[in-house]
Amino acid sequence: MKSFTPEKLPSFLSAIGLLLLWKALSLFFLPTFLPSPLELLNTIVSIFSTASAYLVIGKTLQRVFAGLIFSMLIGSSVGLIMGLRRSVGTFFDSWIMVLLTFPSISWAFLAVLWFGLSDVAPIFTVVLIVFPYVTMNVWEGTKALDPELTDMATVFRANRFLLLRKVFIPQLMPYVFSSLRISFALSWKIALVSEAFGASRGVGKELLYWFQGTRADMMLAWGASFMALMVLIDALILRPWENRVFSWRQTAAT
Amino acid sequence: MTSQAVVIEGLGKKFPTPSGLGEFTVIDSLSLQIARGSFASIVGPSGCGKSTLLNIIAGIEPHDSGEVRIASEDGANPRARIGYVFQSPRLLNWLTVEDNIKFALEAQSIGRGDWGERVRKYLDMVGLAGQERNFPLKLSGGMQQRVAIARALAIEPDILLMDEPFSHLDEITARKMRVDLMRILERARPTILFVTHSLREAVFLSEEVYMMSIKPARIFKHLRVEVPRPREPEDPRLFDLEKDLVKEFFAVLEQDNR
Repeated sequence: MKSFTPEKLPSFLSAIGLLLLWKALSLFFLPTFLPSPLELLNTIVSIFSTASAYLVIGKTLQRVFAGLIFSMLIGSSVGLIMGLRRSVGTFFDSWIMVLLTFPSISWAFLAVLWFGLSDVAPIFTVVLIVFPYVTMNVWEGTKALDPELTDMATVFRANRFLLLRKVFIPQLMPYVFSSLRISFALSWKIALVSEAFGASRGVGKELLYWFQGTRADMMLAWGASFMALMVLIDALILRPWENRVFSWRQTAAT
Repeated sequence: MTSQAVVIEGLGKKFPTPSGLGEFTVIDSLSLQIARGSFASIVGPSGCGKSTLLNIIAGIEPHDSGEVRIASEDGANPRARIGYVFQSPRLLNWLTVEDNIKFALEAQSIGRGDWGERVRKYLDMVGLAGQERNFPLKLSGGMQQRVAIARALAIEPDILLMDEPFSHLDEITARKMRVDLMRILERARPTILFVTHSLREAVFLSEEVYMMSIKPARIFKHLRVEVPRPREPEDPRLFDLEKDLVKEFFAVLEQDNR
């Protein structure tokens, strides 16, 4: 950790200000309606002192990652093929637009109708909402492929596979990674909504349960702890991974 | 087997005009023969179609008429190997220096067993031994262009095409690169077709100089540079040649403008 510097003062004050405002507001309400920061922390600790909480979180994480991985795989390949074959691009263009504009909440309900209470419904919902974004992003990336490098590879007689592996895909990686981080943020929010409708267990189900019991403190506690976990995954896994993949970008010290 | 490495006969190339309504002729019935093992330069003003000509020879630009034949050293191999050094290095920045060269070797289906030896040999030749694991963006512009030269030489091409390879470098670096290129070519000697707008560069580097006029491109003068190697950049004989050629160039340009 770096030491405290004057530049960090505004964000430090902003955090303190938020906590004070929150504390002040909480004085007017019951702890189960709007808990104070300290009460919320206590609730979180009590939730995670039971083993079942970890099972619930684990179940949801499984769905988030399954949805994310399928979305990335499908989205990247469709985007790549659309970019490399103009006719395929024109063909799928309108399909992707339909998927992008279809209301997300409809997918969540439809998934339950079609797949019932199962793991499939939340994963299906995540994939159908997230993969079109990935496709659009990667497709956009194929339009920025450097024709000079393609010419170079052609002169040296690289076959299609080598061209794809060493020339095209590396140029698309920035688009894939920006999609990955946005998709991750989207996936877990969608997964939670979808679980509320169509799962027997999961963080989304917990939120619905405590909503029905009018326990705002429990809902905030679940929401905040899951959010913290997602921020951690982004900071400890996704960002370092991205930095490593793009280490070649560091130019000579001038 | 023939003693000619490249034979171009009656080559023609048209481009659509910017308005899209018509066509203009970039290259008109151009013929050219380059002997195996020689260093030939094509000199012409910017925009005369020099790069287009190289791209046609390299097969990345189609032509409208005429014929381009590249003979491979080994008559049995129907497809000649072409090395190309572009104006900018065109390296794959996400691959190390070593892997950039291996990319070309893999593209040419050269046996994996030879890769290590080729990478070592040609990086050493361009003076970059020890940079194998570095990424291109860590290197200076001159060093990146050296990697591009090593990449082109490593496939041991039947013809090496060079398109103003030093024009993006500062003059001091470019000078050093020209002298170094001479030294490199004492050890590896492919047929070279070098394109430049600099008469000085052309007479210093090559044995054959072809002068090209603009719109449409045609060769109006062929000159053999008899000065023996190794040459000094300040050799007065090269200066005299350059002076004569400059005069001739202006004469032709004036004629074209009339």
